[in-house]
Amino acid sequence: MTAETQGTLAQAAQAGLAIVGEVSVGFPANRSGYGQSTYGNTQPQTEEATWLRVHPDGTATAFAGKVEYGQGIRTGLAIEVADELRLPLEALDVVLGDTDRVPWDMGTFGSQSTARVGLQLRRAAATARETLLRLAADRLDLTLDELVCADGRVTSKSDPTRGLSYADLLQGQSLVEPIAEEPALTSIEDFTVMGRDEQRIDAVARVTGRAVYSQDVQVDGMLFAHVLRPPSFGAQLEAFDASVAEQMPGVVQVAREGNLLAVLAESDEAGELAARVVQAEWSEQPGQPSRWDMPALLLDSGAEDFTMQEAGDLDAGFAAADEVLESTYYIPYITNAPMEPRAAVARWDGGRLEVWAGTQRPFGIRSELAQLFELDEAEVRVIAPEIGGGFGGKSIYAPAAEAARLARIAGRPVRVAYSRIEEHTWATFRPAALIRVKSGFKRDGTLTAWEFRAYHAGERVNIGRRGSETPYDVPNVQVSVARSDSPLRSGSYRSLGGAPNHFAREVHMDEIAERTGLDPLEVRLRNLTHPRFRRVLETTAERFGWGNPLPEGHGQGIAIGLDVGSYCATAVEVRARGSEVRVERVEVAADCGLIVNPEGARNQMEGSVVMGLGTALYEAIDFEQGRLLNAGFARYRVPRIVDAPRINTTFTGDPDTPSTGAGEPAIVPIAPAISGAVFDATGERHQELPILRHR
Amino acid sequence: MPQLHVNGEAREAPQGIRNLLSYLRFDLGLTGTKYGCGEGLCGACTVLVDGQPLRSCMTTVGAVAGGRVTTIEGLADNGDLHPVQRAFVEESAMQCGYCIPGFIMGTVGLLNREAHPSREQIREALADHMCRCGTYQRIQRAVEHVAGSGVATQGGS
Repeated sequence: MTAETQGTLAQAAQAGLAIVGEVSVGFPANRSGYGQSTYGNTQPQTEEATWLRVHPDGTATAFAGKVEYGQGIRTGLAIEVADELRLPLEALDVVLGDTDRVPWDMGTFGSQSTARVGLQLRRAAATARETLLRLAADRLDLTLDELVCADGRVTSKSDPTRGLSYADLLQGQSLVEPIAEEPALTSIEDFTVMGRDEQRIDAVARVTGRAVYSQDVQVDGMLFAHVLRPPSFGAQLEAFDASVAEQMPGVVQVAREGNLLAVLAESDEAGELAARVVQAEWSEQPGQPSRWDMPALLLDSGAEDFTMQEAGDLDAGFAAADEVLESTYYIPYITNAPMEPRAAVARWDGGRLEVWAGTQRPFGIRSELAQLFELDEAEVRVIAPEIGGGFGGKSIYAPAAEAARLARIAGRPVRVAYSRIEEHTWATFRPAALIRVKSGFKRDGTLTAWEFRAYHAGERVNIGRRGSETPYDVPNVQVSVARSDSPLRSGSYRSLGGAPNHFAREVHMDEIAERTGLDPLEVRLRNLTHPRFRRVLETTAERFGWGNPLPEGHGQGIAIGLDVGSYCATAVEVRARGSEVRVERVEVAADCGLIVNPEGARNQMEGSVVMGLGTALYEAIDFEQGRLLNAGFARYRVPRIVDAPRINTTFTGDPDTPSTGAGEPAIVPIAPAISGAVFDATGERHQELPILRHR
Repeated sequence: MPQLHVNGEAREAPQGIRNLLSYLRFDLGLTGTKYGCGEGLCGACTVLVDGQPLRSCMTTVGAVAGGRVTTIEGLADNGDLHPVQRAFVEESAMQCGYCIPGFIMGTVGLLNREAHPSREQIREALADHMCRCGTYQRIQRAVEHVAGSGVATQGGS
């Protein structure tokens, strides 16, 4: 069976019941968005695939092109299918991220999994349930109305002793059904699994060490590659001498292809040792900007200015203001720093290529590999095992191609695993941004004009657009985002440009509060009519106890945000002492519509808060002329357990509103809320991140 | 030949100077112990040696010869999860899960030294472990839960 047929319809014709449906839900909802423009290299080769299989033993397997990298999507999808199919969660298995086995998908980013693929799986599961009902109606000679599905059985409503299990119904059957046009989706009142706090179905594998990540993949005959990385970005390999390295024990060969130079060895340690004695000559690219060049570079190189929001007349708005305030905000490059550094294992079998790679985009990587080696996509299989974090960054996954190139040279499977230093240096960075805000407002704090000009580094014009629009009511507004030169390789990150844009806007609102003598909560409420926004803001303030007296040296801050369709507000209490700032507690309210798994969604809110706390207080990439100065955890501080605040989350969404993303929204308001709290505690206004560098 | 015990099994120490983490992961296939930084800074590679936590990425096999090494795979007792493992599951103290074996081993080591650690002792003991997904509040809760539960938490010694 070839890859092409396994992942599609031929796979369907197995014992049991298969539900097939179109794969186009694997596109992001917003086809002009970042994902489409950045990662749109992959297209489905078939229109339909198997989404769900109910096995002859009555258990079921769901298939999705998404990957699990900490967001709990395997559990989330299993819950949705369990509910629709009336099966206990334990009877559900979910296969993710294997291009030979799952429906095509563009990639796991932008909080699309629950909203789109989850819905498709619910439709598939509802179709399966209706099919099982029909089978039972035939066998029991009852009408559909007289039957009900529950706990893996179809039974008579009037006589619960009369019934058949799914296993009974599927014995000896081999059925393929398309997803119904309008399957009867379960209404929210009838959910039994969804909406409950569920433990993750993959939790035990994680606490026992059985979960396999790409760093853990080992195949027979595998060689360990140690790639010699250039001394600076853009350096070209001129020459090398590996004569000593090649004689070292365990070394199989030193391979070069273009700029790729690697020691291939029988063991990890032999390769590492030998790589140290390879002499390589590189020609470096002179004149690369350094970190202190960034603010001017962002301004001067700004291009492709794009208007995100425009209304009224700015000049008239400023003329009508009692006061005009101009501020500039700067957010440095940061690194995603997932706990698992990227790794890939590649194996060639004749003209067929198999690659294990912990990427958020297995199908996109498959397209890249097929193109690189001039193969049909059906000849390439990419398997994304468990992924040890990514936060957006693992959409770009260079070791997959490195391992495949080296495996072709060596004629044996090859593993390329990044070290921590490589992960920080050769992955991608959240782009630096410089943002200028000019506002006009009345003495009572109401806005009359809002001019927001953002300059985000990055090759892609829309990298910085997300979250730049203001949610506040202002009659005269102009918001524009430009793309500026990026000396570092820019890539995705939780909420992408959304967090820097929110930082500038929300800190500016605090500054307006300061100028008008208003409370930061009050100035926001005076300019905010959107009901969902007001609800999260008011809920957060109330639960936090906004305005209650705080101990000496403590301060409070509050901010709002919108990301991936979800509304969020965050209030924080900090303690500032000497040069240290400690975030004591954080109150979050979020409206993500219908919550599939509250426990999973809360976990994501907490993670976003902790990650955003790092960007607010500690994190910045230092670089000088193409060299990173603070790669690795010794020089790049990220939050630890001693830095973690108490976090409380409240969900304010209406369950009748469709699910929107939960993985990202809570990162957008946390940094400005911390900045506001530090101001409240110390009187210092922080318009530049990270705060601890500027105290 | 010097010997060591890994998860209760006697092993002949390998030839030459060997890194303990690589030996566990690639020679013995015990990949539950993770590589995170190679510098002893993140805690993902934590194992127990005679019941106490050790950064395997910074240790040679020779240094633990004669000792009893316990990895995450050796913690469950005949398939029954160790109380610390159970507490992490119950509190959903994980996201990607990559750091979790290290946190669990660090916690078991702490409970071997101090059966009822205070909140501050827990934070201090786990301060050199990193979870980039930011599940610290849950980890804290899981450890407090198991420390206060009164169940026997000894392990790996």
